[in-house]
Amino acid sequence: MKTSKIILKATLLSTCIFWLIIFSGNFESLMIPFMFLSLIPISLCCATTIMITILPFFRFKTINNKNNIVFKKYFPFYAIVCFSLCFYGVLIDLDLACFYVSAFFTTMQSWVWFGKEVESKS
Amino acid sequence: MKKISLFIGALLFSTLFYKQSLGLNMSLFSLITILVLAIYNPKSFKEKRTIALSIIYIITATSIFFYQSVLSTIANCVAFFTLIGHVSEHHSSIYINWLNGFYTFVAGFFHRNFNVIENEQKVTPKKDIDYVHWIKIIGIPLVVIIVFISLYKNGNPVFGNLISKIDFSFINLQWILLSVLGYYLLYNISTPISVNPATDSDLKTGNTLTNKTEFSIENAKKENQLGVILIALLNVLIVIFLITDFTYLVSTTDLRASVFSNQVHSGINALIASIIIAIIIILYFFRGNLNFFKDNKTLKNLAFIWIFLNMVLVVNTFIKDGQYIYYFGFTYKRIGVLIYLLLTIIGLITTAIKVKQIKNFWYLLRVNTVAAFTILIISSAINWDKQITFYNINYAQSMDFEYLIDLSNNNTFLLKQYSDNLFLKGERKTLIDKKYRYYLRELNNRNWQEYSYDNLLLKE
Repeated sequence: MKTSKIILKATLLSTCIFWLIIFSGNFESLMIPFMFLSLIPISLCCATTIMITILPFFRFKTINNKNNIVFKKYFPFYAIVCFSLCFYGVLIDLDLACFYVSAFFTTMQSWVWFGKEVESKS
Repeated sequence: MKKISLFIGALLFSTLFYKQSLGLNMSLFSLITILVLAIYNPKSFKEKRTIALSIIYIITATSIFFYQSVLSTIANCVAFFTLIGHVSEHHSSIYINWLNGFYTFVAGFFHRNFNVIENEQKVTPKKDIDYVHWIKIIGIPLVVIIVFISLYKNGNPVFGNLISKIDFSFINLQWILLSVLGYYLLYNISTPISVNPATDSDLKTGNTLTNKTEFSIENAKKENQLGVILIALLNVLIVIFLITDFTYLVSTTDLRASVFSNQVHSGINALIASIIIAIIIILYFFRGNLNFFKDNKTLKNLAFIWIFLNMVLVVNTFIKDGQYIYYFGFTYKRIGVLIYLLLTIIGLITTAIKVKQIKNFWYLLRVNTVAAFTILIISSAINWDKQITFYNINYAQSMDFEYLIDLSNNNTFLLKQYSDNLFLKGERKTLIDKKYRYYLRELNNRNWQEYSYDNLLLKE
């Protein structure tokens, strides 16, 4: 699976979670156009985050390391740091919970997609 | 059965926590957690240590019900991670339990999801799900139906009336999302995960240093000389410091709070730096070969003397803190100093054991983290606000009344009792009555999920 495809899937997942949380609090049909418009900044956020914080683990791996080994070795610590930062963000400003929650779940799932990508190659 | 327990747990999670603050819900959630863990890991719950950790977890949850303090909440989280981590690997150190417990809690679902994918691909290639097809068969009819309903609604007043009568307001999406979150959390913890290679490496690491290689006697001799000179000088320095400190302690007659505060806090700062450097220096010299060098007795004895002198320093600070408490009563900072001194004593004793029995750094880390965990659990089971208030009202030579008012509501009933018994008048009575009124209002406004022990007292 190519990185661009993972970014696309991450964008869709992130948008769904983000708007699901917003709509759970207050649903207005006028917000629907913004939902589609938000795909642009969300895709930028996803691409940046994935390329800066996840992709390097898989691109700069040693020859002996398969993707599943990279996943098992680094994902736990990434998950812990990511959760701590997102949790801190939610504590600081509860209104941004939708952003942090979607960021957390999207990055977690992106790791699984990257790990899976390696497996399908092998 | 297993899946049903997760579903029920998720629904209960939402019922307990949706728009509620902490109270009785934490105690009930701890029971749900233990139940889910026991259903999924029955073998683990045959072990005494797992049962003990479960009891500790319940105690911390109960202390939230009793006091609702931040300390009980922190202790509850730590106990929760320890229990989950212990279920994931029974023989690992407590800090690895925390790592495993926290990771399982945070991302167990994704870890297992990845493992499932990995296993499935190794055994039989999984048939790809046709997402586009699913989106088509669900999404397209849904959109078309909504469009047609809106058209027919305007076209036929009877149909429009019927549609407008359909009320979905009883569905609370936030409540449902919280249930999903509850399911995610319970699913995560149902089968705890070990973080590797951290767990494997911890299991392989023992507590004792072993003399693996032959070492140069000449180098060991030089290092031994350096250690003897350094620790001997530090011993002399600490003796001089202690003599001057005791002289000051005995001769001082200044009983101002600011003087005491300055003494205790500067003493503590000196103590923190001194103990940390002491342990680092001892760890450095006794990190390897010098433990097995036959002429290391002088160095060892000097190290023991230094540890002992550091303990005297701790006792000295303890006396200062004790005097401070005697004259001006308890505060959280003064209790914090006492707890720090207790931890320091434990740290020094374990360092002495490390030197005597040739233990490694991991031994120190393991024993001291367990000590810190134990102290945290015990501390969380004490109603500090009430104890501080009780001591300061009854025994302290002078009391900072505003400090007692600013404490949490855990001391409200005690303050009210104090006010009624002494027939207080004036500003103090006004402040106590105000606090009491606010607290009563808060107790009465609580939902059953937020109940604490004081709610039960109120009903009697």
